Amino acid sequence: MKRVLISLGLMLALCNTAQAGDLVKVKGATKGRTNHQFIYEEGCKTCHQGSARKYVDDSACIDCHGNINDIEVTRELVLEEANPHKSIHFNQGASCLACHAEHQTKAPVCSECHRTWFDEM
Amino acid sequence: MSNRRSFLRLGAGLAAGGLAAGLPAVATAAPATRWDEEVDVLVIGSGFAGLSSALNAKRQGLGKVLVLEKMQVIGGNSAINGGWFAVPKNPIQLAQGIQDDSPAELVKDQMISGRGMADEAMLTQIAEHALGAYHMCVDAGVEFRKNFNIQVGGHNKARAIRTKHGTGGDITTKLYEAGKQEGVEYRLQHYIEDFILNSEGEVEGVVVRRGYRFPDQKTGSLVRIKANKAVICASGGFTRNMALRAAVDPSLDPTLDGTNHLGATGEVMLAAMAHGALPVHLNMIQTGHWGSPDEGGFGWSNALLSIGWHEGISVSVLSGKRYMNERADRLTCSTAIMKNRHQDGTPAYPLVLFNYNDHPDDDRVVRALRDEMAWKVDSLEQLAEKFNVPLAELKQTLAQWNAQVTKRTDPDFGRKMDTAVKLKPPFVVSRIWPKVHYCMGGLKTDMGGRVLDCRTMQPIKKLYGAGEVTGGVHGHARLSSTSCLECLTMGMIVPKTIKADA
Repeated sequence: MKRVLISLGLMLALCNTAQAGDLVKVKGATKGRTNHQFIYEEGCKTCHQGSARKYVDDSACIDCHGNINDIEVTRELVLEEANPHKSIHFNQGASCLACHAEHQTKAPVCSECHRTWFDEM
Repeated sequence: MSNRRSFLRLGAGLAAGGLAAGLPAVATAAPATRWDEEVDVLVIGSGFAGLSSALNAKRQGLGKVLVLEKMQVIGGNSAINGGWFAVPKNPIQLAQGIQDDSPAELVKDQMISGRGMADEAMLTQIAEHALGAYHMCVDAGVEFRKNFNIQVGGHNKARAIRTKHGTGGDITTKLYEAGKQEGVEYRLQHYIEDFILNSEGEVEGVVVRRGYRFPDQKTGSLVRIKANKAVICASGGFTRNMALRAAVDPSLDPTLDGTNHLGATGEVMLAAMAHGALPVHLNMIQTGHWGSPDEGGFGWSNALLSIGWHEGISVSVLSGKRYMNERADRLTCSTAIMKNRHQDGTPAYPLVLFNYNDHPDDDRVVRALRDEMAWKVDSLEQLAEKFNVPLAELKQTLAQWNAQVTKRTDPDFGRKMDTAVKLKPPFVVSRIWPKVHYCMGGLKTDMGGRVLDCRTMQPIKKLYGAGEVTGGVHGHARLSSTSCLECLTMGMIVPKTIKADA
């Protein structure tokens, strides 16, 4: 875990042009996030325990990023209540995958109703 | 799917007869005696009904309780609804000096709106548990609006309270956290494929697609979970299942969007029906004529139109003219709105407009403009150009309307003109189209929430239902703020039944 965090720190320090989290081609047809590049160098198994085809649950995200309520939202919010990490609709009861996808763009669950507040994640 | 279902059922029957070893090797058809996991109470769905059922099952000492939710968030429709909750004799109501309300008074109102099709005994039982459900919420940390208790449509008393943020999420998040603290386990992305019944017709467990990603039926892998004491269906309604909706109520136009979350597709109800559960009132589906095509779900439109219907007018973009009495009932307005179509049949969303300068700081206006589901336009010319309305007709419509306001009469549509206002720019303009809202029908249960078999009218053993997935409770029409009540209270009643049955 420590190694992962150190590489994450290095990655963020080095990455001036690309925004952390931009979706880029990483391997063949597979896309991934720029801030996860160091993970791809170690192979898919960092997240997909056992097999690249295997279902990944939130634990893969939480290991590095922490629980949903602890993650600060850095972009400007439309209004205070519209904080997707402390959502008045779901709070702790939301999977990371409800709004984020690793290998593709994804419309966050909030945008099903609040269509002008949240774009692709 | 039906092949796999019947195969599983066949497999269960054969396994009970000791013939499972002779079955061909099919990935989904493991013998019914082999389970991946075992719990005591399995709850399907995580809205008000599921969360309340799970929490109360735990409190009844029923053992290991597992909640399965197919979506990537907890709460279903309950998490995104308006947070209205009808509670006769609630403390805020009493503090307002309203002493003459009672569960029976609420039932009286519900029987009227149910038009002879509602279940009086069931509604009475639910109403009598209202205060208990309210306290369950408060004890779990739910915050209701201070001193807020009002009379909503169809009720004869002010008895509807509302959550702090005006959404049921204030309740679902707290019940979820309370359940977690008391040992309920919740899992997201678990889609119910089928129930497993033994040869006596008793529900033994479920086949679940674990790691399911809505709406892709190919995602995830199948596991079998045994439920020793009960399976509770709390899976909600089916307004997002377009084929089923059209089959049971062809009058619901397929262009109608819904106020529901996308996962309200009814497959758990259908699986129960495939095993003999009795469906009732499936064609009773409620729509609201207050929807906007420029936002998802329930949205702000309903609130914005509480100004628009009274002070402004609705015009057709095709003719530039009014086409209905803007203050008529839901069904009348929905029908009139949906007649607005382009030649190819696609909706020509009508407009609603009223004076911006009368409400520049009103919350309803500020939110609607901010979220671009309504627009401020400075002139009739700008309005006509933006929405492609014939300008000359539009000008004439406005002139005629303003003359009618002076005379307080509406010869064209007979609208009540007491709240009508003369229109002059700038205007707030929004587009409208009705939305499908709530399924009154579903699985028939007895008073204890046991799902009934249509062939015997007796309970299907160990199968229970609570909330919108059940039917026959409200009859033809449900009153606002009574679904939250039904779901939370049935979630208290069903675990008691399970305890008695065990």
